[in-house]
Amino acid sequence: MRHLSTIIDDRPDDGVFRLHRDAFVDPEIFELEHKFIFARSWNFLTLETQLAAPHDFVTSFIGRTPVLVTRDGRGGLNGFVNTCRHKGALLCGAERGNARYHTCPYHGWAYDSAGRNADIKDRKAAAYAPAFDGESHDLLPLAKLATYKGLVFGSLSPDVPSLEDFLGDMRFFIDVAMDQSEHGMELVPGRMVYTYRANWKLQLDNNLDPYHLTSTHQSFLGVQARRRQGAGYAEARGYDWAKRAKTRAGAFTFRHGHAVYWTDQPEPEKRPIYPILDALKRRVGADRAEWMLKNRNAQIFPNLQIADTAALMLRTYRPLAVDRTEMRSYCLAPIGESVERRAWRLRQFEDFFNPSGFATPDDTVVYEDCQAGFGAEGLAYLQGYERGMAATRAGGDDTAAALGIRPERSVVGTFETGIETGLHGPYREWRRLIQAGLDGAKAYA
Amino acid sequence: MTPRNLDPAALLATGADIVRREALALDEKRWDDWLALYAEDCEYWMPAWTSDDRLGADPRTEVSYFYYDSRRGLEDRVARIRSGRSPASTPAPRTVHILDNVRLRAPAEGDALRLGAAWVCHVYFPRSRQSHAFFGLVEHDLALRGDAWLITRKKIVLQNEYVPTMLDIYCV
Repeated sequence: MRHLSTIIDDRPDDGVFRLHRDAFVDPEIFELEHKFIFARSWNFLTLETQLAAPHDFVTSFIGRTPVLVTRDGRGGLNGFVNTCRHKGALLCGAERGNARYHTCPYHGWAYDSAGRNADIKDRKAAAYAPAFDGESHDLLPLAKLATYKGLVFGSLSPDVPSLEDFLGDMRFFIDVAMDQSEHGMELVPGRMVYTYRANWKLQLDNNLDPYHLTSTHQSFLGVQARRRQGAGYAEARGYDWAKRAKTRAGAFTFRHGHAVYWTDQPEPEKRPIYPILDALKRRVGADRAEWMLKNRNAQIFPNLQIADTAALMLRTYRPLAVDRTEMRSYCLAPIGESVERRAWRLRQFEDFFNPSGFATPDDTVVYEDCQAGFGAEGLAYLQGYERGMAATRAGGDDTAAALGIRPERSVVGTFETGIETGLHGPYREWRRLIQAGLDGAKAYA
Repeated sequence: MTPRNLDPAALLATGADIVRREALALDEKRWDDWLALYAEDCEYWMPAWTSDDRLGADPRTEVSYFYYDSRRGLEDRVARIRSGRSPASTPAPRTVHILDNVRLRAPAEGDALRLGAAWVCHVYFPRSRQSHAFFGLVEHDLALRGDAWLITRKKIVLQNEYVPTMLDIYCV
């Protein structure tokens, strides 16, 4: 590998963290990401509530590997490579559904919902040799499958820490999203699937970048301001982002590449959980309920983002090529909430997060601008990872101590600080995993 | 003249003219003309697909690409398009809508009628030098308000929902 050692110029003692643009454009690095990151760590797959009944299934991906997650007849959760053992055709082409058996459309090999081969068409007449009969014809299981608070993760590699260890204290920021209902959380029907012509890490980057809001999303802020003056669609209950400028803000980075950016919440009454706040406080405690109201952008490395900003959103992405990415975004919501609060949530979600909304299109278009800009000869290191540097410290801060969590690094400022150092965690883990692969070492010690 | 006195062919011609005028207003970026075709209490809805084979049926409980139950939502869209501050809207994508199979979907009742149509919208994104054709079906409900027919409801079904980068109200 020509230059991995120089791709991140990471010198905390000198106050320097610079990322080379090759991270986004080099096809060789892209291959290493598939091989040493996506294929060797936990990846988010789906929500357990998407597979409520026996024989329910969901299809997904780990990097390039198609994955089939099933609820078998005994209620167990299973993860398989979604590929027929016979000729390698994609076994299940539907994105979700219910099926006792999955039959390959090519030669009709069938598998039950527990992944066992149930039929090899015309097997008796096949004149197979004993060697064939000696092999397993069942679906290839994922090396690991586990759930945390209803989030289903899988790994193609057995050499990963337990899911709880992998998530570590990042679990607090999963809890405050997934504990918003005693009945569990669900993905509201109607998912957004879209692509953009740029590297997947531009999406990784954007979620932990508060600095872009007041420039990229000026038109969104303009629409919000217009609504406050009585024009426009007030039903979307947008936030007054001007009130956020001076709010306290911070970021934590955790082991294994997870990170969160947060700000205090000047307008808690606009949260659709606000009407049930007292009940929430009784169930999860006042501190956690307060954190449910705050703005939070969580990155669970490598492929899951849960943002609770304009609305509560769950987003996952899949790298298709070094310069092409597929996105899936979902409105995450408490199971059993009233129709009124569900509609409130939906209008907020659509307003900001839809690829047809007022904000996300401006992000995806700008990612493409970045990818085009990365073609510049002479541009080496980007200067986009250093806001908040002088305020970033090792270990936890007072906020972390109050929450009982132990981040690797903490930073606190205001929204206007535009903290960028939350991204150091994911990029350091990105470098560590690729380096471990290149060194022939295991991904996790 | 009330609709009762119109034969179906004349009603279809009246309705189809409005549907075509809407498409042309979008393609020519005459946003005020576009807004003027809508009743203030209109519903504008493009449901999301909930799976490969099911379209969302209830905007209160399922995600929509667009859902506004008043024209003020459309006015927001126009405000953003005109702001000059939306990278996705600048330089403005250029569009051509092709409409076909415009038909009366239900017998006219009183002063209201429903039309269905098939559409293709070719979009050129100058920023990325890319073109894309969105296509789908659409229903328009029209009502006679005073002496003008206005759109009271528009439901768009986007058939190719795998969205490249972005879409806006002028892409469908």
